[in-house]
Amino acid sequence: MPVAPLVSGDDMSKTKRRIDVYAMTWRLPIILWQALFFVGPIAFMIAMSFFLVKNYRMTEAFEFVNWQRMFSRGFFWDSYWHTLFIASLSTVCAMCLAFPAAYMLAFRASENTRRMAIFLLILPFFSSYLVRTFSWFVILAESGVVNAMLGWIGLGPYTMLNTTFGTLVGYMTLTLPLVVILQTLSMANIDKTLVEAAHNLGCKPFETIWRVVIPLAKTGLIIAAVFCFILSFGDFVAPFYLGGSQDPTLPILIIDTTKSGQQWPRAAVVAIVMMLTLFAVAAAGIGLAYRKGSSR
Amino acid sequence: MSDDLVVFENVQKFFDDFVAVKAMNFTIGKGEFVAIMGPSGCGKTTTLRMLAGLEAPTSGEIRLDGQVMNDVKPHERDTPMVWQSLALFPFLTARENVEFGLKMRGVGKADRKERALEWLEKLGIAEFANRNVATLSGGQKQRVALARSLVMKPQILLLDEPLSALDAHLVIRMQAVLTQLQRELGITFVYVTHSQSEAFAMADRVVIMSKGEIAQIGTPKDIYRAPATRFVAEFVGRNNILSGKVNALEGARAQIVTPSGVFAVEAELSMGQEASFVISADLVHFSLEQPNAENAVLCTLISEEFVGSMVTMFLESGDGQEFKVQMQERELSKFDLKGGDQVWLSWDAQSAHVLEGQ
Amino acid sequence: MKGSRYLDGGLRVYTALIFAFIFAPILFSVVFSFNSQRFPTIPLGEFSTEWYAKILNDPDIWEAALNSLIVSTCTALIATFLGFCTAYSDYRYRFRFKGPYLALILLPPTIPLIIMALAMLAWLSKIGMSGQLYSIIIAHSVLTAPFAMAVIRLRLNQMDENLEAAAWNLGGSEWATMRHVIVPFCKPAIISALCLTAAVSFDEFAVSWFVSGLNKTLPVAILEIVQGNIDPQVNAIGTFVFLISMSLIIVAQVFLVGRKIKSSD
Repeated sequence: MPVAPLVSGDDMSKTKRRIDVYAMTWRLPIILWQALFFVGPIAFMIAMSFFLVKNYRMTEAFEFVNWQRMFSRGFFWDSYWHTLFIASLSTVCAMCLAFPAAYMLAFRASENTRRMAIFLLILPFFSSYLVRTFSWFVILAESGVVNAMLGWIGLGPYTMLNTTFGTLVGYMTLTLPLVVILQTLSMANIDKTLVEAAHNLGCKPFETIWRVVIPLAKTGLIIAAVFCFILSFGDFVAPFYLGGSQDPTLPILIIDTTKSGQQWPRAAVVAIVMMLTLFAVAAAGIGLAYRKGSSR
Repeated sequence: MSDDLVVFENVQKFFDDFVAVKAMNFTIGKGEFVAIMGPSGCGKTTTLRMLAGLEAPTSGEIRLDGQVMNDVKPHERDTPMVWQSLALFPFLTARENVEFGLKMRGVGKADRKERALEWLEKLGIAEFANRNVATLSGGQKQRVALARSLVMKPQILLLDEPLSALDAHLVIRMQAVLTQLQRELGITFVYVTHSQSEAFAMADRVVIMSKGEIAQIGTPKDIYRAPATRFVAEFVGRNNILSGKVNALEGARAQIVTPSGVFAVEAELSMGQEASFVISADLVHFSLEQPNAENAVLCTLISEEFVGSMVTMFLESGDGQEFKVQMQERELSKFDLKGGDQVWLSWDAQSAHVLEGQ
Repeated sequence: MKGSRYLDGGLRVYTALIFAFIFAPILFSVVFSFNSQRFPTIPLGEFSTEWYAKILNDPDIWEAALNSLIVSTCTALIATFLGFCTAYSDYRYRFRFKGPYLALILLPPTIPLIIMALAMLAWLSKIGMSGQLYSIIIAHSVLTAPFAMAVIRLRLNQMDENLEAAAWNLGGSEWATMRHVIVPFCKPAIISALCLTAAVSFDEFAVSWFVSGLNKTLPVAILEIVQGNIDPQVNAIGTFVFLISMSLIIVAQVFLVGRKIKSSD
């Protein structure tokens, strides 16, 4: 089959060896802008991890001292494993909590209900995550709404803030909408006839879900999990405000190192370690998602 | 030849390794209605696009009214096209669509409006002038597309399978509209299609293409009666094609031995020559008893196909060769035939057309 | 079958609970923005608009709001322009390194904001462009351009494959065609992109916080208030922010979807 130009008439530019001003006008802006303001910052940040800081002044150099310092510090590794742990916990929680709702929207709801639900779920993205976190802070406080209601039935008061529980509530606020949307979309798009076939063959509901639905929606579900992990891993608001820094995570470390410590190179080290970890997780996730696994 | 509007000289088109068009040479005269026809992938659309400037020939020259067009950009040419997908501007009304070309050429507002309305009127869709094109029916959109091109008063109009998306009854009607317009305006029409009936119904001359090459150029009648190659014979009309070896000569006649039998043709051939000949399905006679004819063969009836008042019979001779016979339905109904019946087919020697070099 | 009905009912209740969890903090914020108590809890205090009065009388808040407005408007314009250029280049042309080209615009959302914040701060400081409103505008346009590009690219997919060529064929040069055909066709998507990028920029706080120096935007102002102590003003600001972002998104949706209902082109 011939390789036809993308759009009829694309040949126009091929007959001339001169620079196609028209094409370049549209092609170049993003290259220039991103080179200057995206590649530049990231590249500089990586380079910065090798800089030195003396007397609160940063000098350009190529030393490994920042790396050595961070890696030798106990608190860095504590922070690293803790962040890894809590982001994973957040992912498991979000995926499990979202699943029944997503299942309902995908299989037991009409097309319109589903579309409306997804529209509603997009709204929180635009409602200031900070304010929502603040709301939770107040709701979960010792004298907050939840404890007050529990008090009516003679329970509590419970300390929910400054705990891992608080951090998790924050992470759920951040990630649940997205995870529900992604899970719903991936399950809504599987071949429903296969699910019916399973039912016909006598599979009970839960078995069908485990053996048929999940494997079929595997790709979308893994992508949802990866996004959830990335979001949780990089968030500082939840662990800071609701976890009370009981959970010193890497993002908080970056903020401390930057804002209070003025040690940008060390912050860069943390940032790079984070990026590499997330890259590895994303790569593993995509590999898992698109691998042709054993089908039943 | 100053009467030629379009000249293709040794035009070739490559897409990377793929040869879409090989060494095309042909001309189109002023005021002619030319159809370019062929199966998918034969290069007909590529040829049209080269004329419009949307593809540049890899080699060779295309001349329009004497001027070499190879490096002329599409918007600098005056070769308006009616697209298969219509390509109407969905955010404009019918009138604004028709005005578009005039606007690009710098025609004044009042002037454009007048000319656009004139053409909408002429094509019978003036009432839709201010309606958004998305609300129009297929046939109405088709007319807007036509008006949009013709309002430019071009010398030549290109059409890329414009009727392929229409319902059958609309196709017949639009064919009449197109033919009438072309006659009236005297514009050259270059019409690309894969449909033989469209091409043969409307065109003065037909260019048949196959695999990037021209297989035959001629009037519909010439092509129908005297296909130049096996491909054309198979592609056009209902034809019976037989092949064999010459085993006897008699003046201007020759005798060819084929697996189905020995048949006489009127052609200048040489002894032992391999030759093929074509007999059009409507020139074959059939009878229940063996006829007194020099070319006859006994066949078994396989099936019949009815299209309106014509019927095509498909038969098979003893050696497995397929035969087709076409006749009026009322003729056939005189006989009571069913599948498996044996009938005799015959034809005159002069009805057979010998294919060159095959 | 009976078990299935219990299951069904149970699922509905559960889903409602999840939605309740997701929307609770928003509703809470709105409700308590009208509550007279200093510390929001139940039983509710009296209905009061004092917090709104307080923020409307606070010049710092007004300045932050104005900054947010300037930043989101400029971001929207720049990001939509960049997104349009890239979407059109992707639609029309084939060229080498197209993969990396697209990656260039689509990567930023995959990098955690806190890291982008640090990188932006360091780089903009180095080239002397940090601490100003335009610093935030630059950072936000990098972050939001992918959304603009995606929206416009999807719209271009709906364009008749011959539309651009038809315009050339009728005498329109490439530039004239861009002006009279491509842009008008993309208009709904362009408006949508403007609203979407403005909304995202309006809410963004991490990068703004790092990069803005003393020129606070509204989210940064919220951040600083929240870092202090419990201040119900935040609820009032939050409600405002929510309403504005919401309107932008609804307008964006209307332009994207509304067109589809009107015409199938």
